[in-house]
Amino acid sequence: MSNSEEEKLQTLPLLPIKNSVLFPTLLMPINAGRPASIAAIEAALATEEKELVVFAQRDASIDEPQAGDLYTIGTKAVVKKMARGRGGIEAVLLGVERVVLIKVEQDGTYQRARVRPLPIIEEKSTEIEALHREVIDLATRAVELTQPQAAAGMAQLIASAKEPLRLVYMLAPMFSLELEKEQALLEAATVTDTLRLMHAYLSHELQVLELRSKIASEAQTEMSKEQRDYLLRQQLKAIQKELGGENPEQNELTLLRERVEKADLPEDVRKEVERELGRLERLPPAAPDYNVGRTYLDLVLELPWKTATEDVLDIGRARTVLDEDHYDLREIKDRILEHLGVLKLNPTAKSPILCFVGPPGVGKTSLGQSIARALGRKFERLSLGGLHDEAELRGHRRTYIGAMPGRIIQAIRRAGVNNPVLMLDEVDKIGHDFRGDPAAALLEILDPEQNRTFRDNYIDLPFDLSKIFFITTANTLDTIARPLLDRMELLRLSGYSEEEKVEIAKRYLNPRQIKEAGLQPDHVTLESEALKAIVSLYTREAGVRQLERTIGRVTRKIAVLHAEGKKDPVTVTRDNLAEWLGPRRFSTDQARKQLPAGVATGLAWTETGGDVLYIEATLLPSGRGLTLTGQLGEVMQESARAAQSYIWSHAEELGIDRSLFRRYGVHIHVPAGATPKDGPSAGVTMATALASIYSRFPARVDTAMTGEITLTGLVLPIGGVKEKVLAARRMGMKRVILPRDNEKDLSELPDTVAKEMEFIFADKIEDVLTAAIPQLGKHFSTLEQAAS
Amino acid sequence: MPLKSNQMPVIFGAAQSVTERLWRPAADIYQTRDGWIIKYAVAGVKPEDMKIAIKGSAITVSGFRRDWKLEEGCTYYAMEISYNRFERTIELPCLLDGAEVRMEARDGILIVRLKCRGVNP
Repeated sequence: MSNSEEEKLQTLPLLPIKNSVLFPTLLMPINAGRPASIAAIEAALATEEKELVVFAQRDASIDEPQAGDLYTIGTKAVVKKMARGRGGIEAVLLGVERVVLIKVEQDGTYQRARVRPLPIIEEKSTEIEALHREVIDLATRAVELTQPQAAAGMAQLIASAKEPLRLVYMLAPMFSLELEKEQALLEAATVTDTLRLMHAYLSHELQVLELRSKIASEAQTEMSKEQRDYLLRQQLKAIQKELGGENPEQNELTLLRERVEKADLPEDVRKEVERELGRLERLPPAAPDYNVGRTYLDLVLELPWKTATEDVLDIGRARTVLDEDHYDLREIKDRILEHLGVLKLNPTAKSPILCFVGPPGVGKTSLGQSIARALGRKFERLSLGGLHDEAELRGHRRTYIGAMPGRIIQAIRRAGVNNPVLMLDEVDKIGHDFRGDPAAALLEILDPEQNRTFRDNYIDLPFDLSKIFFITTANTLDTIARPLLDRMELLRLSGYSEEEKVEIAKRYLNPRQIKEAGLQPDHVTLESEALKAIVSLYTREAGVRQLERTIGRVTRKIAVLHAEGKKDPVTVTRDNLAEWLGPRRFSTDQARKQLPAGVATGLAWTETGGDVLYIEATLLPSGRGLTLTGQLGEVMQESARAAQSYIWSHAEELGIDRSLFRRYGVHIHVPAGATPKDGPSAGVTMATALASIYSRFPARVDTAMTGEITLTGLVLPIGGVKEKVLAARRMGMKRVILPRDNEKDLSELPDTVAKEMEFIFADKIEDVLTAAIPQLGKHFSTLEQAAS
Repeated sequence: MPLKSNQMPVIFGAAQSVTERLWRPAADIYQTRDGWIIKYAVAGVKPEDMKIAIKGSAITVSGFRRDWKLEEGCTYYAMEISYNRFERTIELPCLLDGAEVRMEARDGILIVRLKCRGVNP
C-alpha cells in the first residue's frame, strides 16, 4: 500500500442500516433508534465535517451487528440535517462516495470503521451509451406501468440524469429492488457492469409488470363489460322514466323478485322459481315468452306450498255444526266425526276420499260445505260434469299458447291453503273422448299414495295433494269407472221420507225462504200440516229442491202482500194452501184404486229417488210368444223372459191351464212408455203380472214388490230399498214384498215408516205370489194340504 | 410498485461529482455598468477556506464550512445548516477570461466584483 493510498484511509463513525443501501449522490432520510446508531451519528455531528460511513446489514434481524454481519462495501455520507425525535434521531444523509470496509473498532458505545474510498472506474464507450439509453427506455416504460399518473414527471426526472451512474443510483430505490440487488449495484466494479446489472433487473421487472398489467387489464375488460351493461341499463331506465313515469315491467320484476324472496317455498320449488325469474329478467318485456313466464311465476308464488289451515279438532263443536246444517244423515256425520277423532290422535292421518251418492237435492254439496265448516277448513268445489279433456284436470304444458293450470291447481290457488275440503261434483258425469279420459287423471289425483307428488303439466313441479279432503258427489255409480270407484269411500244419501222433508222444511228451508223474501219470521207461519201437504201434493222428488222452490213461491206471494202494505201476519194452513199455490199438482192416491188381472205394482229406483210403476200384462188371442214394450233394457227383457219361463214351467203348481200358452201370446208393458227402464229388480213384479193374467186372479192393490228372480224361482236381493219403500209409501202402499236378503236394509228407514208399513220377505217366487195374489195363496195352501 | 418512501432521489444540478460539492450557497447577481456583482450566502465559512475559479464565462466559488464547538458538553438537538464542502458555479452572459476580480467578506456574505471587458454577448 503506497503512501498516497495510506492518506486516503479514514476512520469514521459506522452506521449500520437495514433493508436498504445508500447510494452516492442520493439523499436518504433515516430514523436511528438503536443506541449504537445514535451514538455514531452524534459522534459524526461532533466533527467539523459531519461525516460517517453507512454499511448495509446482511440480516435485518440482528440488532447489534458486528463486522461480519455487514457488507464490506458501503458509502461515506454527510449528515445534511438532523433533529431529535421520539427516542432517536431523524437525519438526512447524503451519500458521498463508495468505500470499502477495512476494519471495525469499538469506540465506547459505537463502532468506528476504517475505510478506503473505492472510486468506480469511469469510462466512456458505445456500450455504455447503448446501455444508458436502454435503461432510460426500460425505466420509462416501467414507470408508465406502475404509476401512470406520475409517469410524465418521472420520465422527465429519469431523462435529466445525464450521467449513467447517477441514473442507476437514482432508479434503484424507485423500483423496489431487493437488498442483494441494490448492494450488487453498489459493488459493481465499472460503470458498464452497473448498467448491465440495472438493465437485467429492469428487464425482469418490466416483464413482471407487463404480465401483471395484462392480468389486471383482462380482469378489467370483464368488469367493464358488466359495468357497461349496468350503465346502459341505468340509462335505459332513466330514458323510460323520462318518457312516461315508472317503467312498469321493471317495476313488476322488482316486485316479483321481492315476492320470491319473501315467499315460503320448498327448496326445489325455489330453485325452479329463481331459474325462471333469472330467465325473465333477461327477456325484453315485449317478448312473447315474457308474459308466459310472468303468469307462471305469479301462479307458483300464489300456490299455498306450505300454507295450511289448522284443523279444529273439537268433536263436540263439529257435531253441532253438522247438525245445524243438515237433518239426520247419521251415517255420514258419524264418518266425519270418526275422521276428526282419528286426526286428533294421529295428526298425519291421510284424509279420506269420500263419495256421496244420492239423488239430486238431498244436500250433497251443502254437506261438503258443512264438513269444511266443522273441520275449520276452506271449501272449494269444482264441477266435473261434462268434462271431457284430461288437460282440464291436469293442465296444459307451458309450451302451448294460452296454457293454464288444471282445475285442481286452480281450486287450490283459490282456496289459498293446501288442505281445503275439495268437492268434485258430478263425478258420474265425466265424459271422455279422443282427447283423453279425465277419469284416468282422477285416478292419480284421488290416490293417496300418488297424489303426494301430483305434477300439474303447467306448473311442472310436484304439489302435495295428500292433505286435501276430497269429496266427490254422484247421482249414480253405474257410469263411474271401476278403478275410480275403488279409490273412494262410498256414502249413500238416499231420498228423504215425508216426515224428514217436513222436518227439513221447518228447520232449514222455511227460515231460509222467509229471509230470502225479505220477511220477518213472525210474518209467516207455515203449519206442519201445510208443509206435509206441500210435500205430498205439490212436489214429487227424493230431495228437497222442489220443496224449497214451492215454499219460496208461498213466501214471495206473502212478500207481495207486505209490499202492498198488508202487514198482517199470514198463517198458511193445509186448507188455504190452494190460495197460495193453486190446485194441487200430484195426488197421493195416484195409486190405482183397483187392479185388473194382469197388473202388478213394482218398485223402481231412479236417480231421483224411488218410484212406483205398474207392470201390465195381457193375453193376445191370436198372437204368439212374448211382446215387451215400454223402453225396456236388455236386462229387463231377459228378466221378463225368465219370469215367463218360470210361470210356464210351474203352470201345474199355479193352477194354470197350459193350453193358454199355446192359444195366446202375451204382451208385457211397463208405463210410462217414454222413460227408459232397465235392471233386474222388476223380475218378481213381472212374474206376478204374468201369474195374474194367466190365472185371472188380480193382484192386491196395496202391495208393491221388488226383487230379482232366477229360473228356479229364487228371489235375489236388490238395491235402493229405502228409496223404493219411501216411494211405495208416498203412493199409498201398505205392504211391500222384499227379497229376504234385503231385510237388513230396513234399518235405514225412519222408524215411523217402518212401523206404518208391512213388509213381506220372500225367499222364493211362491212367497211373492202368495203375498201378492190372495186367491193364488189360497190355491197354494190347498196344494200344500193336499201334499201333506 | 411504490417508491421506497425513505429514500427519495434528490438531484443536484449538473455537477460532475458529488464529492466536490455537498451543498450550494444561495447567490444574488447584480449587473453594473462595467461588470457584475455576485453575493454568496456563506455564513460561517472562513475566508481562507474559500476559493474562486474562472473558466470561460463561468465563475465557480468553492470552499468548506467547518463546524466548531461552541461550548464543552453541548450536543446537537437539531441541525439545518449544511457543513462540509460547497461549490457554486454561475454562468454569466459574457466571457470572463482576464476579468478583474475583487473579493470581500462582510457579515457572512462573500461579495465578488467582476469587471470585464467586452461586456455583453
